[in-house]
Amino acid sequence: MLDILLIRGIVAMFLIAIVSATIGSFSVFRGSTFFVAGIAHGALAGAALGIFISITFFEINPLIVALLFSIFFALSIGFATRRKEDVDIAVGVMFALSMSLAVLFLSMIREYATVAWGLIIGDVLLLSSGDLNILLASVMTVLIIFVLFYRKMLYVIFDRESAEAAGIRVSLHETLLFIMIAVGVVALLKCVGSILVYALLIVPAASSRRLFGSVPGTIVGAFVISLVSGLGGIALSMYLSVAPSALAGLIASAIYAISLLKR
Amino acid sequence: MLSVEARGLTVRYGDYVALEDVSIEIEHPSLVVIMGPNGAGKSTFLKAVLGLIPYEGTVNVFDENPKDARRRVGYLPQREYINLNVPLKVRDVLLLSLTSRKVAVSREDVARAKETLSMVGMENFWDSRFDSLSGGQQQRVLFARALVNDPDMLILDEPFSATDVKTRISLINLLHRIKRDKTILIVLHDINPMVECTDRVMLLNRRLLAYGPVVEVITEENLEKLYGTRIPVVRQGPVCYVLGGDRHA
Repeated sequence: MLDILLIRGIVAMFLIAIVSATIGSFSVFRGSTFFVAGIAHGALAGAALGIFISITFFEINPLIVALLFSIFFALSIGFATRRKEDVDIAVGVMFALSMSLAVLFLSMIREYATVAWGLIIGDVLLLSSGDLNILLASVMTVLIIFVLFYRKMLYVIFDRESAEAAGIRVSLHETLLFIMIAVGVVALLKCVGSILVYALLIVPAASSRRLFGSVPGTIVGAFVISLVSGLGGIALSMYLSVAPSALAGLIASAIYAISLLKR
Repeated sequence: MLSVEARGLTVRYGDYVALEDVSIEIEHPSLVVIMGPNGAGKSTFLKAVLGLIPYEGTVNVFDENPKDARRRVGYLPQREYINLNVPLKVRDVLLLSLTSRKVAVSREDVARAKETLSMVGMENFWDSRFDSLSGGQQQRVLFARALVNDPDMLILDEPFSATDVKTRISLINLLHRIKRDKTILIVLHDINPMVECTDRVMLLNRRLLAYGPVVEVITEENLEKLYGTRIPVVRQGPVCYVLGGDRHA
């Protein structure tokens, strides 16, 4: 009989693949993959603060603080880019701020460093039912926003100015996209850690865009690549005693390398 | 009937004044070519008409606020603003515009998109990737996208950039056919190919220098004021041609 933790890990990888297909594809289309890395580090800072609050003041799920931090960082980057700041610079500044805050908060909770360490590297095979519920709720939120606003968001990403001229509220849809990314990143934090969020969110979509070459093809392909990488990572971890997220990241990167062979 | 009515239109980008006190009335239907040097505010004028930027003064489009009139306007932006990272097919480019306010695409939408694509001679590229097309082909698809909602006004920002002579002629012929019931505003650097179908020319250099019929506006004096250098103009009966043109783009 399969271990309950293993079943949770498999379900989590399925849910992660949905996030990868939706958010990952849109981030790759938008050319804002560095944005995802920046938000992941913002989430880490938020989670560290959440742990600090829990041990000092009152009980709070660190992921909730991580979500608030991620949304704040995402909207701040959006605000800076609307003020004509280069997106890479805006993300870079937020990256520096979030890492500084993360180090600050982590240094304040040294005795709980292992909890924080879990958020940096994650472990999909150590999820509680509560973690899985949070992941499920996050993925449902992402899916609902994605389905409802798919066409408008795609139009905004493809041709911002024409979309606005066509009557689409560009700022609103960009904000929704940023919130969707923030929710997705936090959903993955406990499973794969802040460092490897990028590997499972962006790399499958980047490979898929090269291999399948259409919008629906990229989305479906990203789902399959992410799922294969995730389940492959879990399967290999049974034999190699290595964190499954690291192996999943390696598999996803190998698939991307193969995709580069396609012209 | 007026399609565009601007009074004291002024646009500032920070301290820089891109357009200053522009007042103009554009009749519907008519084909208006907007000319001017780089930084003259041509694209800025188009964006004000579309309600894409904040401005001082008043602008009415079909007696409405520009934002409210957008449903009656088709827009072809400069191609450099298109994000080719998105692997859209040609059909998606048209359908996104046609159905941007809907969740799903109907059969009628598809039929309308195909019909519009055939108007620009790109019907065989329905399933092609947009980013795999040449610059001229992409421009024709974007032209079709601007037309797909059958707008009352068409706003075209340098529509002939990257197009070869054959494409340019086919697009001009199309403009000839559709101009009867539309207002068409076109930013151009070289008016010569369009001289015969242009109703009015607008010379802009942050301020409105001249507006009127081609033969009245395209004079050596006006062009010297506009570009700061003498440009010969040749008259042939009811039309005139600019020798050398402004081809800096």
